[in-house]
Amino acid sequence: MESQQKNKHKLNSETPYYWMFLPALLSIIGVMVPFYYGVYTSLTNNKLYNPVAKFVWFQNYIDLFSDKDFLVSLVLTVGYAFMIVAIQIPLGLLVAQLLDQTTPFREIFRSILVMPMLIPPIVAGLMWKTMMNPASGIYNWLLNSVGLPSFTWLADIKTALFSVAVIDTWISIPFVALILLAGLQSVPVEILEAARVDGANSWQIFRKIQVPNIGPYLMLVLLFRFSDALKAYDLIYPTTRGGPINATRVMNVSAYEEVFKWSSMGTAMAIIFVLWLISYFVSTFLARKWQQAANDVKGM
Amino acid sequence: MAQRIPRILVILFGYLVFSVFILFPLLWIFLMSIKDFKDIIAYPPVFTFTPTFDNYRAIIFGEGSTGLTTGISDYMKFLRNSVIISVGSVTISALIGTPAAYALSRSNIRGRDTISFTFLSFRFAPELAVILPLYAIYKKIGLYNTYHGLILANQLITLPLTIWILMSFFKEVPMEIEEAARVDGASVWQTFFHVALPIIRPGIASALIISFIYSWNNLIFGMVLGGAATQPVTVGILQTMNFDQIKWGWMAAAAMISAVPGMIIALYFQRHLVRGLTMGALK
Repeated sequence: MESQQKNKHKLNSETPYYWMFLPALLSIIGVMVPFYYGVYTSLTNNKLYNPVAKFVWFQNYIDLFSDKDFLVSLVLTVGYAFMIVAIQIPLGLLVAQLLDQTTPFREIFRSILVMPMLIPPIVAGLMWKTMMNPASGIYNWLLNSVGLPSFTWLADIKTALFSVAVIDTWISIPFVALILLAGLQSVPVEILEAARVDGANSWQIFRKIQVPNIGPYLMLVLLFRFSDALKAYDLIYPTTRGGPINATRVMNVSAYEEVFKWSSMGTAMAIIFVLWLISYFVSTFLARKWQQAANDVKGM
Repeated sequence: MAQRIPRILVILFGYLVFSVFILFPLLWIFLMSIKDFKDIIAYPPVFTFTPTFDNYRAIIFGEGSTGLTTGISDYMKFLRNSVIISVGSVTISALIGTPAAYALSRSNIRGRDTISFTFLSFRFAPELAVILPLYAIYKKIGLYNTYHGLILANQLITLPLTIWILMSFFKEVPMEIEEAARVDGASVWQTFFHVALPIIRPGIASALIISFIYSWNNLIFGMVLGGAATQPVTVGILQTMNFDQIKWGWMAAAAMISAVPGMIIALYFQRHLVRGLTMGALK
């Protein structure tokens, strides 16, 4: 195969491929230019209303790391990402198990399940915000009507971030479940049969056979969900705008406000590049883990 | 021991719980969209009421208009902007991305893997790292608040999706078919157009649709780079909330309308959804 390809390439030049690729390559440059301009901006005291920015080296970053609000926001952002995967992966596994069963209603269930993933997150956020209203929302009415006390949802410092995570779960659970379902279905039937013959119960099959065999799928879900949660914005902006106080002010929200409330482009870009670095290391790490797991299992 | 409850009942109970969790918000907001103001603010909530389409009428025919526009309601203007931006973005991505995906999966261009992973990284990196500087640049060069500015910026979302999804489809086209065409004297371009492209047609549909959904659902690009004239519906819908919770009915109607494209696509396109959403990482 390898040598065949080499032969082919001796006969035919690579030139047409370069032409095919050129426009996409230009688009990479189109991304790199603003990106590096942003890196430069983060090293200046750029203000939107002041076009002449002074180069200040790492002053913005030094200021950020001595600012308690920023550190809180940093911890909050990473904590939120951990919370998202901690909620969604177990729940997604459960839904995937349900989807993996042969029942007459499976197709209907699957159709229902995919709906939230296709509506704009901001719309989902507004819908849930209305329903989570502590005084007039349907959820507290439902809680009260079964004798439970009202919940503060998005309105309280202690519960706001969790409530956003609940909404995110509503949006993302189909995605997580569908990937993990693909994982469950990749486990060879013979292994499952053999285990059943040996008298293993469902829980043992799950723990000892399914989970170890869906490693690559779990890593893929982690990669997508963790990196998406790090840049959470679409859901937080319509529901809490970072509040109450700073309870949901993740880094993306802080950066947005630095620009559009305080006009400090330099500070905003510094925040964004700290986030970018975290995101870069996490996604590179998880992507590598995913590839390793895929090689181990050879299922993908 | 645990077999006292039949397995099927446990599964069906699971279906029920999750279906209610998923459907209830959609149903409730739908009901809200056909309630009048009195029924919306009623507490305890009312479940029986005379349905009204006033909210939809207000949104579509412009009672919700702030008077900035003529002839077309603000909301319909936002919808139109969304259509222009999303259709424009996926079209350009398809035109640029399809040959690029082919080149990346067929040739030995130097740095091929680096390049494909650069595109992949766009999917995971925070978009603001590019679009905040882009905001400053757009203001300078006059692309701020223009359709082409937004369509160009949207390539950051749609192009990586298109390229990765299509690469996964191109890799499945049997090499023998293409080699046979080449032996018969077809050029690279001819092979691409007449052999590979027809085979991966479902892949193109998949890439277009997933990119469309991502572009349509996106909020932050329109917020940062769009002004009053070009903002998409995701930004527009926030404005129905501006007068703090007074216009719940409008918000509900607007939400329902903006969710329609995704829902229709979902019904028609489930089969390719997972592959698209994972950028071809899973079949």
